Amino acid sequence: MNYFPDEVVEHVFDFVTSHKDRNAISLVCKSWYKIERYSRQKVFIGNCYATNPERLLRRFPCLKSLTLKGKPHFADFNLVPHEWGGFVQPWIEALARSRVGLEELRLKRMVVTDESLELLSRSFVNFKSLVLVSCEGFTTDGLASIAANCRHLRDLDLQENEIDDHRGQWLSCFPDTCTTLVTLNFACLEGETNLVALERLVARSPNLKSLKLNRAVPLDALARLMSCAPQMVDLGVGSYENDPDSESYLKLQAAIKKCTSLRSLSGFLEAAPHCLSAFHPICHNLTSLNLSYAAEIHGSHLIKLIQHCKKLQRLWILDSIGDKGLEVVASTCKELQELRVFPSDLVGGGNTAVTEEGLVAISAGCPKLHSILYFCQQMTNAALVTVAKNCPNFIRFRLCILEPNKPDHVTSQPLDEGFGAIVKACKNLRRLSLSGLLTDQVFLYIGMYANQLEMLSIAFAGDTDKGMLYVLNGCKKMKKLEIRDSPFGDTALLADVSKYETMRSLWMSSCEVTLSGCKRLAEKAPWLNVEIINETDNNRMEENGHEGRQKVDKLYLYRTVVGTRMDAPPFVWIL
Amino acid sequence: MEFSNSCSSFSSSSVDSTKPSPSESSVNLSLSLTFPSTSPQREARQDWPPIKSRLRDTLKGRRGDDTSLFVKVYMEGVPIGRKLDLCAFSGYESLLENLYHMFDTLIICGKRDRKHHVLTYEDKDGDWMMVGDIPWDMFLETVRRLKITRPERY
Repeated sequence: MNYFPDEVVEHVFDFVTSHKDRNAISLVCKSWYKIERYSRQKVFIGNCYATNPERLLRRFPCLKSLTLKGKPHFADFNLVPHEWGGFVQPWIEALARSRVGLEELRLKRMVVTDESLELLSRSFVNFKSLVLVSCEGFTTDGLASIAANCRHLRDLDLQENEIDDHRGQWLSCFPDTCTTLVTLNFACLEGETNLVALERLVARSPNLKSLKLNRAVPLDALARLMSCAPQMVDLGVGSYENDPDSESYLKLQAAIKKCTSLRSLSGFLEAAPHCLSAFHPICHNLTSLNLSYAAEIHGSHLIKLIQHCKKLQRLWILDSIGDKGLEVVASTCKELQELRVFPSDLVGGGNTAVTEEGLVAISAGCPKLHSILYFCQQMTNAALVTVAKNCPNFIRFRLCILEPNKPDHVTSQPLDEGFGAIVKACKNLRRLSLSGLLTDQVFLYIGMYANQLEMLSIAFAGDTDKGMLYVLNGCKKMKKLEIRDSPFGDTALLADVSKYETMRSLWMSSCEVTLSGCKRLAEKAPWLNVEIINETDNNRMEENGHEGRQKVDKLYLYRTVVGTRMDAPPFVWIL
Repeated sequence: MEFSNSCSSFSSSSVDSTKPSPSESSVNLSLSLTFPSTSPQREARQDWPPIKSRLRDTLKGRRGDDTSLFVKVYMEGVPIGRKLDLCAFSGYESLLENLYHMFDTLIICGKRDRKHHVLTYEDKDGDWMMVGDIPWDMFLETVRRLKITRPERY
């Protein structure tokens, strides 16, 4: 089979970097499997409970970078209790014992402790990059260990984590000799920041390209930081409240003008409405703008800023921009690829909210758009049909109509036809989120047309088990299916058990599945972990006279090669 | 909006422990489960809409609706004033145009002029200033009320 010596084959493999491709290579033959596993440096594990550290290290002894994901996606919306699991400690312990040369660790939705961070910081001499997304369980003391002990730290990127801020001096724990920082993101920290330590750190980090500040960094400090880091590419502004103190404002304006490499802007965690004009001079270079936390900024100011951003590729914004604002985006941002519009009013429909008109305008004006997340008050089938026609290139389409079960507001029909048009036209669709009034029909369309669909999120949709069956039978590439508050039950769950071997996971909450249905599934598929999460009734479930017919509150099942996990809390019942 | 379903509580998630019994579960949920989005008694759900906690907390902590800023407007010599929502304007030009229609006379700002009505404002320090000197956004932050001065006052 091999015409070349192993080293040559390995060299060829070096050019293959995507996980999917490397996984495919390893399946070709035993020889390739062996060469591939010794040369694999980056490993991605989408569900930390699908395997374990020992198996990881046995197969990939030369790994340098590990990505791990823990809790299911719906944990982002408070549907998974904090103590459910996803602990990184055993992984770090195993990696430390094995003396593997770990350089990069990326974690999402995992529980990280200060102990884990301390162990991490002491165990890997060449450790360079720590990225934590939506994690919890640690404090700024853990950050202090990382700062103090990782001599070659390049990236410390904390995105939307729950961190207990001890208001300590973690920033001053970076030794004076640390000059290698490229990324520093601590926007999610809620406490005070040692500004002097921060300024000194930034001043001695000539390679610093990405700096995201928390809300405790005021305007004058921002001006100083920017003037000593004009090479900045990605900036997250913390607090941006401008008093009429014009001196710091002038200094900021001057500093901003010098940041000619700035391509990405975010933050404005606390902002007075009028300050954005200081950034207008660099807007023409921006490719990424995230104002989704700038709740105080009035729609008109957002629009003024965006009018200058002709090169924007990625925009995350609040719906306070309004349909009119989205029309401005559509006519200005011709390079736009990804748009996210978040709700700004959780209580009741405000008149500045966005509707189907904004979505249609964007689809018409932005030919390169491939990913959208859109929260809105209302939608129509006609609008979705138009959007599908304008944008057949969607890879990700997530629509969230704020009121569940809301029909087409013009015809009062379900939105089946609209979403049907989307899946029919968008042949490369990989991710879809549904909302509004939907019957089984929409799932028929999805099963028929969404051939590339890998992730589907369903809420308050469907009529019968047929809906779920259409999806399970039709979407051959389905990896993650998450369903809440929909009338799917045991029939759909049990129809084709082997399907779950091809999927990463299935989540069903507030549906119609029963305990006996789940038990039957667990019996048929011992290679699945079938978890019942029942915070209130777990003990009573068994004793109940209705035994078996009791509906399951939350079901989470996933394929695994290592069987039942040992770290589940008492309210998680693994069948 | 009312629930017409026999499923008594919408909150069928884990928060609510009173679930419909198996005999009621065959009712078609999609027909009649509704969300009382306009009811003031509805408490904010923690799991809907599907946004991350950080954004949810940010939105909860908002100061309030910043979409209007009503100030009094007086024409000098006229005892009854008017009220204007400054947030409805994009800048000084549209403000002046609106005042022109409201008072049926040309008004200028930014410079003293013997012949025309000049627009002035009271800022948050209580001082009377010429409208037009500072950026519009800053103006919105500091303006308390407006006064249109008569010609030949200066």
